[in-house]
Amino acid sequence: MQDEESLVRRAQHRDQEAFAQLYEEHFDKIYRYVTFKIGNETEAEDMTQQVFLNALKSISSFKWKGIPFSAWLFRIAHNQVVDYLRSKKRTTVPLDESLVSNDNNPQLLTEQKLDIEQLILATEKLTEAQRDVISLRFAGELSIAQVAKAMGKSQGAVKALQHSAIVALRKTLRVTENE
Amino acid sequence: MSKEKEFDNILDECLERLLVKGETIEQCLQSYPEQAANLKPLLQTALAARQAVAIQPRAEFKAKARYQFRSALQEAASRRRRPSLGWLPRWATVVTIVLGLLLVSGGTIAAASYSMPDSLLYPVKLATEQVQLALTPSDIGKAELCAKFADRRVAEIIYIANKGDAQQVEAITQRLDERLVMLARLTSAPEVAEAPRMLESPPVPSEEAGDDKDVQVRENNRAKLRTTVANYATNHPAGLRAALEKAPESTKPALRRAIAVSEAGYERALRGWD
Repeated sequence: MQDEESLVRRAQHRDQEAFAQLYEEHFDKIYRYVTFKIGNETEAEDMTQQVFLNALKSISSFKWKGIPFSAWLFRIAHNQVVDYLRSKKRTTVPLDESLVSNDNNPQLLTEQKLDIEQLILATEKLTEAQRDVISLRFAGELSIAQVAKAMGKSQGAVKALQHSAIVALRKTLRVTENE
Repeated sequence: MSKEKEFDNILDECLERLLVKGETIEQCLQSYPEQAANLKPLLQTALAARQAVAIQPRAEFKAKARYQFRSALQEAASRRRRPSLGWLPRWATVVTIVLGLLLVSGGTIAAASYSMPDSLLYPVKLATEQVQLALTPSDIGKAELCAKFADRRVAEIIYIANKGDAQQVEAITQRLDERLVMLARLTSAPEVAEAPRMLESPPVPSEEAGDDKDVQVRENNRAKLRTTVANYATNHPAGLRAALEKAPESTKPALRRAIAVSEAGYERALRGWD
């Protein structure tokens, strides 16, 4: 794989294949992040498409100054999520079973779906910053360094947020388990 | 460094080992026996949060989004292309294009991997796939490539079906069938078919730790591949069926054959693990 910086530079010069490559590399992660944050897959589909169309429009303004492209893309996604949550009251819609990777085993599929729904509900009890860290780290599969860039925080601060988020998540998931 | 900060660093290191390197909770705890009691419940919760990666976009949405994005890319490129060379004499335009092609040839193979069957780079994509398969020594590596290439074929079928080219749909379906036949053969091979261990292994003596780690990585790869194939077994026929509803009448018979090929192909491939 070519390094991200050269791909981004080519994409900035409207190299279609370079941009298509960046799109393929980040599409699933951005979709997972948005779905995880808003809990509504239909809206997440529209929003994911919009993230990439916005990135296409503003790629020329992207400056390579130590901020990875993935962090920039997740910032676009984050801003869209914030706008969406501001305009609408968050409603978690049950996940469609076809959207969860499965083992062709109906029981496993249902369990996996419930686990994810429970997890999304549990994150609603976190602070906004904690939820951002968990969404970026576990749904977006970013490293701590990338999360730090995307959130504009130090790595130490993100690690501390990650720790407190997992502690809070554990409490909530345990409460849900006991119910 | 404060104790709290030190623990944050240890937790993050263990998360990397767990989530990225595929190590077990036990392996992480062995590295930090003094912190084990505090670490264990947090790592267990992190594994539960890892369920988030099971969220996958629907195949039909993905194909539609890809098509729309490529159209937006082409539109943006065509808006820019004409004026940039319009002022040059014709011969200079040709020289500029040739020089441009030479400059980007290093990225041609990478670029080709995302090309569609109506692109000039598509034959490069198919040739590159053959080379990748030939150069991959392990059965599990080859099986992973077959699944990846089958995913590409399905996206291509949906893309081409939208354009109404039945003949191309037939040709790509033939290639899809070839990959799925190969995948089924590989999933029956011992290296790929061996059932993943369901329980974590007990602690091992240190000299065997390296071997155990390799086994763990292989088992993780096998489990990942099985999840991917099971996922495709549902999503690919579903994506093709969704495309069938919107496709022009002329491509519908070819699309129906593609659906039958994908259903039968994945059933054969999953049988290897039964």
